[in-house]
Amino acid sequence: MAKKIEGFIKLQISAGAANPSPPVGPALGQKGVNIMEFCKQFNARTSSQQGLIIPVVITVFSDKSFTFVTKTPPAAVLLKKAAKVEKGSAEPNKTKVAKVTKAQVREIATTKMPDLNAYDIEQAMSMISGTARSMGFTVEE
Amino acid sequence: MKNFKKHIITTKPLVTELTSGLLWQLDIEGINETDDGLIVFTEESKKIHISDIEKILLEMLNQNLIEDFQIEEEILEDKNWNEEYEKNVRVIEVSDRLVLKPSFKNYKPKPNQIIITIDPKMSFGTGEHATTKLALRFIEKYLKGNEKVLDVGSGSGVLAISSVMLGASSALGIDNDEWCLLNGNENVKANNLEGKVEIRLVEIQQIEEKDFDLVVANINKHILLEIGRFIRQKIKETGILILSGLLTIDENDIVKSYSEVGFESIDRSETDEWIAIAFKIKPNYG
Repeated sequence: MAKKIEGFIKLQISAGAANPSPPVGPALGQKGVNIMEFCKQFNARTSSQQGLIIPVVITVFSDKSFTFVTKTPPAAVLLKKAAKVEKGSAEPNKTKVAKVTKAQVREIATTKMPDLNAYDIEQAMSMISGTARSMGFTVEE
Repeated sequence: MKNFKKHIITTKPLVTELTSGLLWQLDIEGINETDDGLIVFTEESKKIHISDIEKILLEMLNQNLIEDFQIEEEILEDKNWNEEYEKNVRVIEVSDRLVLKPSFKNYKPKPNQIIITIDPKMSFGTGEHATTKLALRFIEKYLKGNEKVLDVGSGSGVLAISSVMLGASSALGIDNDEWCLLNGNENVKANNLEGKVEIRLVEIQQIEEKDFDLVVANINKHILLEIGRFIRQKIKETGILILSGLLTIDENDIVKSYSEVGFESIDRSETDEWIAIAFKIKPNYG
């Protein structure tokens, strides 16, 4: 018989670096889930994505066991990586701080496609370009 | 212990992907996505203020990406978040000989069994996880008696403590997490091993001791890949190295990397998707 689902927990944490402190500790602890077990599994599975932020959806069952799926990093995180900058602009409309090429936007859109509500790659690219602009990045042709 | 700040953010509309992505420009610890918005956690010592977060949200407002937002801040003291789970920790028979039990559970030992008391709290090494069991079984297999053991990433101290209970003369457990120093020492005391097991808050590069007969490390792949050459400096020519915390898909990368610093794999053991590998020093290496 399928196990009864008690709830879902959605977190964003650094790849390979989950630890029992917040946000993992409070979110999982209050549901009685084995925090260390989750950290161990998450870190092992995301070890190759060091430096990226990974959204993760954890399904908690009534017997306190869990499963989880990882999602693609937020577009803003991928854009910073592509542009090789630490931060976006404090005044995105006035001060541009980085450039990304259309090819990079396409690559990010392709990576993000499974998690975006986009009909096709063009629409996904338009979403990613919008995020880039909101960070003060110029999208080059 | 570290203190944290919790920032509860709601935006209209709820644009989680965009908001969270922009907030990651700050040096935050992580985000909890809820049905109402985002809870952003920051470490108090990093001095990220509510105004830093507001600045990002105000800019989103200026760009018409959101229509409105609200933000609240709370101080969150670090504590043993694992408390709820710990109530359900069981006695674990790792092998015919080795049993791990929490201090609040009774267990009647069978003849020749070694009982180790471990209250894991916020440290890795409950004994329930396959990686800990795999490492413990290899320790039991390769210890002959009177060895000097190094446990890298000691967590609850379970591997260092078990090593001495299984016959090693001494064990040094090292970790870079304050919880592990506290919890490891509690567990050392619970097993009356003060003087034989030492837990230290250091990185492997910082310890002066060398010539360990057995080195065990149950950590993440990326850390294991970084510390191979330091482990090589600390282990005896006749020593045994046990690596755990790895997925079976990591095996080739690890064996290749450790071969490059002079180790040869001699044994492997799998449970589910997890693997532990034992190594010795390659004959006539460098």
